[in-house]
This record gives sequence, C-alpha cells and structure tokens, in this order.
Amino acid sequence: MIPRFALARPASLAAAFDAWDATDGDASWYAGGTEILQVMKMGLARFGTMIDLKRVPELRGISLAGGDGELVIGGSVTHREIEVNQDVARELPGLVALEAHVANIRVRNQGTLGGNLCFAEPHSDPATFLLACDARVRLQGRGGTREVAIDQFITGPLETAREADELLTAVIVPSARSGEGRAYEKAKFRERPAVSVGIRLRVQAGVIAEAHVSVGSLTDIPMLVPDVAAAFLGAQADVAAGTFGEALAKARTRLGHLDAIGDLDGSPDFKRHLAGVMLGRAASAALSEAAARA
Amino acid sequence: MPETIDIKLSVNGLAHELAVQANVTIADLLRDELGLTGAKISCDMQVCGACTVLVDGLAVSGCTYLAVDADGREVATVEGLARDGVLSPLQQAFIDHAAFQCGYCTPGMLMSATALLAENPSPSRAEVIAGIEGNICRCTGYLPIIDAVLQAAEAGAQR
Repeated sequence: MIPRFALARPASLAAAFDAWDATDGDASWYAGGTEILQVMKMGLARFGTMIDLKRVPELRGISLAGGDGELVIGGSVTHREIEVNQDVARELPGLVALEAHVANIRVRNQGTLGGNLCFAEPHSDPATFLLACDARVRLQGRGGTREVAIDQFITGPLETAREADELLTAVIVPSARSGEGRAYEKAKFRERPAVSVGIRLRVQAGVIAEAHVSVGSLTDIPMLVPDVAAAFLGAQADVAAGTFGEALAKARTRLGHLDAIGDLDGSPDFKRHLAGVMLGRAASAALSEAAARA
Repeated sequence: MPETIDIKLSVNGLAHELAVQANVTIADLLRDELGLTGAKISCDMQVCGACTVLVDGLAVSGCTYLAVDADGREVATVEGLARDGVLSPLQQAFIDHAAFQCGYCTPGMLMSATALLAENPSPSRAEVIAGIEGNICRCTGYLPIIDAVLQAAEAGAQR
C-alpha cells in the first residue's frame, strides 16, 4: 500500500513552486508516478505531500523551437507521446524507436521522460541514448533556470544534480548535423534492458569523423565510453568496408575492458559480449541515418 | 491525517462522485469501493498486466495509477466490455480459441487488446505480439491469445 500523503494539484509552474514552499520540503513532485509511486509502495520513501505536475502547462509539449531548431521535449511528456510525435520521428527517429520499447504500453502511456531521467535508474533507456546525443536538461527552481548536460545531470544510481525543489522542465536535444546519425540498441529479457548502447556518428567524405558511444545497464550509471567511440574514427562509413570491420572489432575489444556489473540478466562477460553485439547494430543503424542526412 | 479529495469519474459509462484518499490506487477503488473485481492485483509493480484498465482509452496499470488521477476521466474495465449481455467480439474470440486457462490474466489481456484494437483495428500478428508484450500469461503460451485478438480484429473489420 502507498503511504498516505496530501495531494497538491497546481495548474502552473508558479503555483507548483508555491505548493512546494507550503510543505517544509517533505514533498515530492510526480507526474506519471510509475517510478516514485512504486518506491513508495515498497516502503522505501514517503512524503507528506505529493505535487502532481500533470496540470502544469509549462511542462507539456514537444517543439523544434530551441536554438538552431533543437528538439525540446517538455518534462511531463509521456513516453507514448514521444513515440507518436511527428517532429521527433523526423528529427530523432532513434528516440521514437527507443520509446516504442520502453517497459510496456502501460508504463509508456503513464510514465514521462522527465520522470524517467530524474529517477536515474541505471537501466534507463532514454538516459543512455540521450547521453550519446549530447542532450541536456533544463532545471528550474525559485532561484532561476539552468541547463545541465545529461552526463553532468546523472551523478549516481538513482541520483541526479537536481535539487529537491527544482523541476526538470525540458529535455533539449541538439539537431542532427549534416552527415550525422544517432541510434540506440538494447537487449532485454525482462522489463528493463539487460544491456543498451547509444551511438552518434558523423560522416565526412565517406569517413567517420566524429563518434560518441554510451552504454547503459552495464555499469552503475549510464555512461559515455570515449575510448570505445574513438575506435571508429577514420574508418570508412560502410559496414561492408574492411576498415569499418577493424574499427568495430577494436571498439568491441575496448568494451570488453569495461568494469561491467553482473546481475540477473547475466555475468559481466556475457553482458560485455551483448554490448558488443548491440554496438555493431547501433553503429550500422547510425550509418544508415548518416547517409540519409549527407 | 490528509483529507479526502472529491473526484468525479465515469466507470464503464456510469458517472461516480467519490471522496477518496490520495494514496488509493484506481485498482483498489474499483475493487474495494465499486465492487468491480475484474482487474486483478498480481505483481503490484506494473510488470504483469493483470490490473490493466483503460483511462480515457489508454491502458494503465491499475496497481500504480492513483484514483485521484482519474478525476474527470473515463475509466473502462473488463466488466464494461459486454453490452446487454452480449460479449464483445474480443471476448467471444477468447472463448472460441480457449485463450485462457486459469483466467487470472484474462481481464488485463482483454483490456490491453481492446485498447490495441481501438487504436489499430487491423493489427499484424507482430503488432498484436508487441501490443500484449506487457501482459503475462502462465497458462496458454500466448498463441491462442494472439489468434483470438487477430480473430476479433477480423470480426471487427467485417462489421
């Protein structure tokens, strides 16, 4: 049973902060509740007041209104809303593909991108992919607004740089540049991924000129692995090319040195191997998208 | 103790005005207050799908969806599928294909598939499998369930 709490239902961002100030800090924001209500049900957290963010219009909506047409996704937009959004499908198809397979349809209907990132579960699908995409989050509190890169935002398992009285109002993803492709692949046996890989590659004159790789579910937080990414630099942007095959092999070897955590989904060795398989698939998908954006 | 909150919601087309504690889930409200025990609490962590109900047409886990969040919305449960004693095409298809044994997952399966067919009246087999991915059945091995959903889609297309 979820412990009892008082409910606040603010209808604006200003009213949300007022609601917070009325609580002495014994409060939590919630939107979908798919993570926080679960934790409360398990007896791991309780709050005097829960502040429902679903009626706050400033947290809604998806637009390409950021600088340079960046993708801006409101903090309380659900996984399902992202999955069926045409702007996201055009701008960041890898995120649509990812969202179509987060947990199950019920969690996707209810759970939000902002809530997922703020919960900072080490197996988070979006956190892993958005790391590779160089995304950032906008945090707003009484004192003002700041933007934090995802790799600075997630500070530990279930820990973020967000202050308790701050809200994640939006997630901002830079628009793809010419020759850039972004993709995400995961292996999953249960609700959450066993292993996941995000990748962003930029192709110039037929060669991989820039590479970023992230891994999730492998270590205690989703993380960028720059040495793995660097293996792709200079390789031909063609999965059939010899230099690409060598680059992928080198990248997999470097992944194999990662200090992975074994869990119910498999041993560290098995999970590193799976990550290598996912890396190959993600790199191939990213190259296809890069070719389409050439 | 926190006060109750007044909510208005429709359940299977019937309007209700209720005073509820904020921590009560929609599954508990349906089962304990309204006597609608179709939605089952099984895993109680949004994994198994036995508690699936629809809120404004969207499938949610009743076990982890607050009743206060259904304020002003339309809730649909398995009890509302049959009309005037006539089973929905999906329910009939479950019988035709013997798509259940113990029956514990069936209300959730039916509601997930109802939402799927409302959104996509002619799903492919792969789309049916993806649509009920989050509903666990220990008896059937899923094949009769998938066949039943496909039959219901066909029946819907013929109407």
